[in-house]
Amino acid sequence: MGGELMAYGERAWLLRGVEDADRFSIGAALAKEPPLHFEEYVLGHSSILLIFAQPVAKTILEGWLSKADFGKRGKAKNSKLHKVPVIYDGPDLAFVAEATGRSVEEVIKIHSEGKYSVRMIGFTPGFPYLEGLDPRLQIDRRNTPRNRIEPGTVAIGGPHAGIYTVASPGGWNLLGRTNLNFFQADQCKGAKIDTGKIFRLKPGDQVQFVPQK
Amino acid sequence: MPTCLEILSTGVGCSIQDSGRPGWRRFGVPPGGALDQYSMRVANALLGNRPDAPVMELLMQGQKLRVLEDTWIAVAGADLGGRIAPWSAECVPVGSVLTFPSRRSGLWAYLAVPGGFQVDQWFGSASTDLRNGLGVPLKKGSLLESGKRLHPDAFERIGRREYVFAEQRAFEMERSFKILPGPQFEAFDPATRAQLVGAKWTVSSQSDRTGFRLKGPLLKIPPSIPSEPVLPGSFQITGSGQPIVTMADGPTVGGYAKLAVLPERDLDWLAQCPPGAQLSFQWVA
Repeated sequence: MGGELMAYGERAWLLRGVEDADRFSIGAALAKEPPLHFEEYVLGHSSILLIFAQPVAKTILEGWLSKADFGKRGKAKNSKLHKVPVIYDGPDLAFVAEATGRSVEEVIKIHSEGKYSVRMIGFTPGFPYLEGLDPRLQIDRRNTPRNRIEPGTVAIGGPHAGIYTVASPGGWNLLGRTNLNFFQADQCKGAKIDTGKIFRLKPGDQVQFVPQK
Repeated sequence: MPTCLEILSTGVGCSIQDSGRPGWRRFGVPPGGALDQYSMRVANALLGNRPDAPVMELLMQGQKLRVLEDTWIAVAGADLGGRIAPWSAECVPVGSVLTFPSRRSGLWAYLAVPGGFQVDQWFGSASTDLRNGLGVPLKKGSLLESGKRLHPDAFERIGRREYVFAEQRAFEMERSFKILPGPQFEAFDPATRAQLVGAKWTVSSQSDRTGFRLKGPLLKIPPSIPSEPVLPGSFQITGSGQPIVTMADGPTVGGYAKLAVLPERDLDWLAQCPPGAQLSFQWVA
């Protein structure tokens, strides 16, 4: 497993420069045969954060990384294709059209013809960072974030597309909305937790946006 | 379970918190929990509760609670001017109304009842995270149950308990913190790194359970980074050149460069710095 280990706080290590082919196998290895004191991991774009219950020496983690069984490299297992209906009436359509030198119709066409996959989940519960955004639509995030963006809002930010899953502040440009739920807070109660029911998407899943009238 | 309290007013804000819900960050679920874990543990210790039993976290001032049966109540953390002094517990008779009229020190007070508040758990934690729809929101009229009854004479007929004095915390309006280099430390130029530790920073009123904003000199930001996991205590330098220190309900992943990280135990202290407090920082040698 390649990458550079960097201390982050007192009891976490950030593994940077993780190759795409290794992103999913490390999660499986951590679940199967975790290093001592391991607590949880978080996927970044090309990084993985490993959080421990107490400080762990770099050499111990290096040893684990060199010995653990990472199985087959490559794509995520059991990934699904999700078709997401979108009403394209977002407040930033005109801005994105102007910034990219295209018409609103072209922006919608380019966005909805894209084939996306979930790079990671983060920011808020179930929020998908989608890769596969056409370079023609890759523009900077807004200088001033909005205070409140409604769940179901379909947006783009830098190299990513995404879908806001809860009402939250955010700096991405808003293209439209979907009526699908991406995070079911009412399913997280009690002792039995079924992540498949709570979160619609997982890393590696594919997403297509289908324009609606 | 005994119904012991009714909320007459939530004041500036109050919520149920415990030690949070670590373990779900890879799904985007923040760890949450009491912003000042130390004070939460003290409030629980005063009643013999387990350290992470659910407590009420009260912000600033204005809360009013009616006591529905004789019950022991402990308070720790910020001094909000209530009849139960922080770092102590008392048996409060039925019919009493506990008010928290004005903040004297700190920012968050923690109120514990015997056995902890009995509420549902989301991802294994009672902590309220309003933005993400987790936990029970407290409203005027909410009735709260305690985990058990403690007899008024439960503690050898002692009417009031106080936490060991040397372990009580005094919250000031000025505080200095040691900080560790953050994941993007090397991406900031040396002058900017020096500015973070050279300047005085003021806690902004636009601070909440997701992050504390600091006001001070404008910092020069490095080029944007691919989105990366974020830990509480991180000094994210936003596009405006000002730091946001991520707190327990903050995002799990973000694209701002992180110049520094606060050691975990000091997050409890930072959380108790109210808007207007003056902070300074030094790199851990």
